Amino acid sequence: MKNKGQKKLERTVSRRFIFLSLLKGSIIGTIGWRLFDLQLVENRKYEKLSDDNQFNYRIIPPERGRILDRKMRLLAGNMDGFSLVLNWNKDLNVHQIIKKISNIIILNEKDIINFFNKIRHQKNNYSKKILITKNLSQKDVSKLAVRSIEFPEISFSMSKRRVYPQGIIAGHITGYTGPYSDKNIQNSSLNEIEVGKRGIEKYFDVQLRGEFGRKRNEVTSKGHVIDSQIYENTKPGLDVQVSLDMKLQAFAVERLERGNYELVSIRNRKIKKQISKLKKITFVNNNYVFINKKKKVVNPQSGSLIVMDVNNGEILCSVSSPGFDPNIFSRDLEVNEWDNVKNNLRSPLLNRSMAGVYPPGSTIKMAVALAALESGIIDYKTKFFCNGSKELGTSTFHCWAKDGHGNLNLMQAIEQSCDVFFYELGLKVGIDKIAVMMKKLGLGQYYNVQIHDKAKGVVPNIEWKLKRDGLNWSLGETLNASIGQGYLLTTPLQLVTMVSRIANSKFAVSPSLVMSSENKKFNELNINVEHLNFIKKAMEKVVVGTNGTARHYKIGSKNIEMAGKTGTVQVVRISEAEREQGLIKNEDRPWKRRDHALFVGYAPVLNPRYAVSVVVEHGGSGSSVAAPIARDVFKHLFKL
Amino acid sequence: MNRNTNKFSSDTMITIIFSKFLKINWVIIFCLIFLGLVGVASLYSAAGSDWNPWAKNHLIRLIFGFCLMFVIAFIPSKIFFKYSILSFFIGVGALILVKFIGSGSVQRWISYGGINFQPSEIMKLSLILILAKYFDHISKIQLDKLSPYIIPIFIILIPGFLVISQPDLGTGLTLILLGLSILFFVGISMKLVIFSILISFASVPFIWQQLYEYQKNRILVFLNPEMDSLGSGYQIIQSKIAIGSGGLFGKGFLLGSQSRLNYLPEKHTDFIFTLISEELGFFGSISIILVFCLLITSIMKISFKVECLFSKVVVFGIGFLIFLYLSLNIGMVCGLLPVVGAPLPLVSYGGTSLLTVLIGVGMVLSINIHDKKV
Repeated sequence: MKNKGQKKLERTVSRRFIFLSLLKGSIIGTIGWRLFDLQLVENRKYEKLSDDNQFNYRIIPPERGRILDRKMRLLAGNMDGFSLVLNWNKDLNVHQIIKKISNIIILNEKDIINFFNKIRHQKNNYSKKILITKNLSQKDVSKLAVRSIEFPEISFSMSKRRVYPQGIIAGHITGYTGPYSDKNIQNSSLNEIEVGKRGIEKYFDVQLRGEFGRKRNEVTSKGHVIDSQIYENTKPGLDVQVSLDMKLQAFAVERLERGNYELVSIRNRKIKKQISKLKKITFVNNNYVFINKKKKVVNPQSGSLIVMDVNNGEILCSVSSPGFDPNIFSRDLEVNEWDNVKNNLRSPLLNRSMAGVYPPGSTIKMAVALAALESGIIDYKTKFFCNGSKELGTSTFHCWAKDGHGNLNLMQAIEQSCDVFFYELGLKVGIDKIAVMMKKLGLGQYYNVQIHDKAKGVVPNIEWKLKRDGLNWSLGETLNASIGQGYLLTTPLQLVTMVSRIANSKFAVSPSLVMSSENKKFNELNINVEHLNFIKKAMEKVVVGTNGTARHYKIGSKNIEMAGKTGTVQVVRISEAEREQGLIKNEDRPWKRRDHALFVGYAPVLNPRYAVSVVVEHGGSGSSVAAPIARDVFKHLFKL
Repeated sequence: MNRNTNKFSSDTMITIIFSKFLKINWVIIFCLIFLGLVGVASLYSAAGSDWNPWAKNHLIRLIFGFCLMFVIAFIPSKIFFKYSILSFFIGVGALILVKFIGSGSVQRWISYGGINFQPSEIMKLSLILILAKYFDHISKIQLDKLSPYIIPIFIILIPGFLVISQPDLGTGLTLILLGLSILFFVGISMKLVIFSILISFASVPFIWQQLYEYQKNRILVFLNPEMDSLGSGYQIIQSKIAIGSGGLFGKGFLLGSQSRLNYLPEKHTDFIFTLISEELGFFGSISIILVFCLLITSIMKISFKVECLFSKVVVFGIGFLIFLYLSLNIGMVCGLLPVVGAPLPLVSYGGTSLLTVLIGVGMVLSINIHDKKV
């Protein structure tokens, strides 16, 4: 018989049994609900997370388009490059492997440093591929591949490398590419993408780049790629044809840098001695240097040379010297190469043709003359007397000819580049009208030329000065502007455009670095053609006239002659005391204080086709240094 | 006890076994076989469609375990009653022993002749047996007083803390929860239960200080897995991704990307349910839970039916043990509970928990065969 206690116990147990069953049921229910929530309600979210785990998408860079010159010569192309990659995991003795590789091939020191930096910055211990070097030659690859058994951890990968076969000749125009960088985006795969950094490479980057493809890798939690498939195809970039003529460009670079110097081999004993004493001398083709007339070793001339088609504005040649070799940027930039470029006092990275500004000097006298003619203040016969200087208030403004040119008219004034004549002219016309004419001819403005780094220059007028300094314009400043000094600043590209417009006489041509497929429409120039023809005649006289400043540098061909204007730009103000002591000869001054030599011109005289502007920095006089360069370029152009 | 009424049968061993065989609860056997085979299939998938290293072993262990279970099922349940105290002391002894000769970075295992053995698992059965025996004994006097619960508290806490100090928080808490549920089952007063719940809440800060750093970490990371998404939180995040991405029908058997690409930690042991959820989806995981429920209710039904208190408590304890395994494991993998290390019985790879469950169910079957007086 069961007693009371036992019966009570049985009842309690039964009650507790039911209670516990309910508890268990609710717990299982909770779990069921949780699974429902995870697997059905939030399924999308977790599916995406799972996909993110499973796949990793890599960008495949397309092959970059080429840059070609007007005759389809290659300016920038792609070359197969081999990369050496280490399949890293945390158990590898990295130092030993690098040492072993170094015994077989030569590894770049910078690559090794970069590599060890990458190793040091590993955040986790997952195995992965780490780049050792990008610059492997075919020879290196075969050397290593033969002994691949010794290096199970390394592998090769092919990549495209940007190559500029023309090297230093057109670095400013082609520009270069570099790894994509954006402070806001920190995606390592984007770092492998090359984008244009300067020049045509930057301006036409989108067109050259093509469209990226994508690769879908299936990766394990440890980072091993176990499957890879192309997800989106790449579209290769399009080629860009520029208007440059590389043959002319090469000639122009050589001619500009030579100036009036002479090329000598460094094997010459005397020369060797001199070089050893000098600190920084730029060699030409590694084995030659320039010497000046006093047999002193000198650096190549620096400056700019542009040739432009006066009818359609195509730039056939745009030299900026010293140049730089864009190839140094597509290799992993070596420190000393970069230092050479960066620390060179003559700033090779500056594109002087388009971003360098210079006082134009006498080369803008045509503009002043045109402003006077157009406003009707003078006519072709108006004469002024030059006695060598002009007094204005308390200051004296000198002509380059100490003893003066005497009585002369406009044609003669341009031919001989008389400063006093233009002082008088400037005073009569006034700065504002001169500025309007200069702008009409293309000074003081940007063009739609296909390059990003360009300068605007300065064409001053009364309002400009008031805005900038809050000061009134003084007449002395008009005098300075009339001979292209003072505030006036122009780029060589603006000067060549100015000459092109004068030579063209009909249209306001503007420069272009790409071939124009159709006949480009330019705005009308709106300057009296008669006046322009007069100015052109005067420019012809500069070369062919008996007193012309460039009379020694005629082309001398029956059919083709050039017309132009010289310019010699004072870089430092010459004080009265210095003037009285007698001027120090240009060559005897320190380089930085020497005059700039300029020449602008066009050819042929009849039916002009090409305009040229030459700027030789601190080169001396425009007539003796810049004019012969222009003549030789024209000779080359017309194959004379 | 045995039915000897059949005139054709004599009292031979074979007939005894045969008659016992008929009384076996086949629903339970079906559930066990089903779950065991699910385990084999999942382990095959976990190894990347390979019988090695887990699936084959698991199958062998299952066969061995089933044989053992049937042997135990045919042993008269009196024997368990007789040896329950001894088994408890052996268990406690083994737990103390493991402190000294335990292998592994954490001292949970005893290795002998190539077999790794985890005493804490067997302890669970011993605890059920001794508590059952104690209450069966004590019930003849009085149960609604407070004093009879003092000894069982010690019986529970001694092995419980021994296991926690191994350190194995999961198994230790399972042991304590199991013991407490038995106390509750036999009728500890409701007031006391509420009182102790309050006490335990109050002692949380004290216990927190006693925990090992990695245990604290696990709980912190459980509360906020993103806190350490590559470290301790990694497991639970990846596990939730795997389960969640399974959807309604799953990615297909052998096709789970999370498991195939090794994003799942411990995918063959504690996290095997994750793999099943990923590959078989909501349907698959719910089906497995339902089979477990069927197993547990079948066991509970036996517990409800038997009259002897010892048998009642033993069967309840084993049923509750399976329930604890199930809810701790799945609660853990789907992020409801902290990662404490609880296997999914019969499915997870691991011999001791498999053996524990099969021996336990063997005892249930034995009680069902022998103890039923109906």
